[in-house]
Amino acid sequence: MVRIVLQVIGILILIPLVTIVTLRIDNQDADGPSVLFPGGKLVSGELHTGPEPDWSFTDEVPTIELQLEDPLASRVIFVMESDGKVYVPSGYMRSFLGRLWKDWAFQADAGNGLAVARINGVRYERQLVRITDPQEISGVAAKLAQKYAGGATPETVAEVERSVADGDTWIFQMAPRGVET
Amino acid sequence: MSTKNYLILCAVISAGLSLSLLYIPSFSLLVEQLMLLFLSTNAG
Repeated sequence: MVRIVLQVIGILILIPLVTIVTLRIDNQDADGPSVLFPGGKLVSGELHTGPEPDWSFTDEVPTIELQLEDPLASRVIFVMESDGKVYVPSGYMRSFLGRLWKDWAFQADAGNGLAVARINGVRYERQLVRITDPQEISGVAAKLAQKYAGGATPETVAEVERSVADGDTWIFQMAPRGVET
Repeated sequence: MSTKNYLILCAVISAGLSLSLLYIPSFSLLVEQLMLLFLSTNAG
């Protein structure tokens, strides 16, 4: 009986392990990420050059692909425009699972933040700069709540702002490269 | 189940699952969405 139980437990452990390893390996060198697993370098799509675009078009874009230069990996992520600038969030930053899942945010904050974002098939070379200014956060929080939290009610916006203040959510501006950090 | 048969079963499950994930896009997408749902619910 014990043997059977142990064998069943073994299979129950094997299934998610094989799943995670297979999907991780399958996506690691792909041109872009899958829904959950990091991909490789973003190579396809026109590379944007010239003046800063009007980022308000991202209001209609639910997710983008974001690739860090170091370490080189890409993932799907939310995007928000506020006051003419564009931002990406990273939640769950203080939980154990979050630290495993959102390793890119820690890497961006600790490194040079150089990144490539692909939005609607167009690539943009950017630099991730973590923001902490409450006034700037307030505008971004409102857009985050509006796009992804069911609406920018005072309570929802306050909850987002609190999450950022507590360190559970980090907000990065996708700034033009060469900005002073 | 004998150890030999158990290891064969594990190998068959591993191979079948890996091949399904690699060659059935809708299956891998469903699995990833379920994993994302789990993380979104439990990572906080």
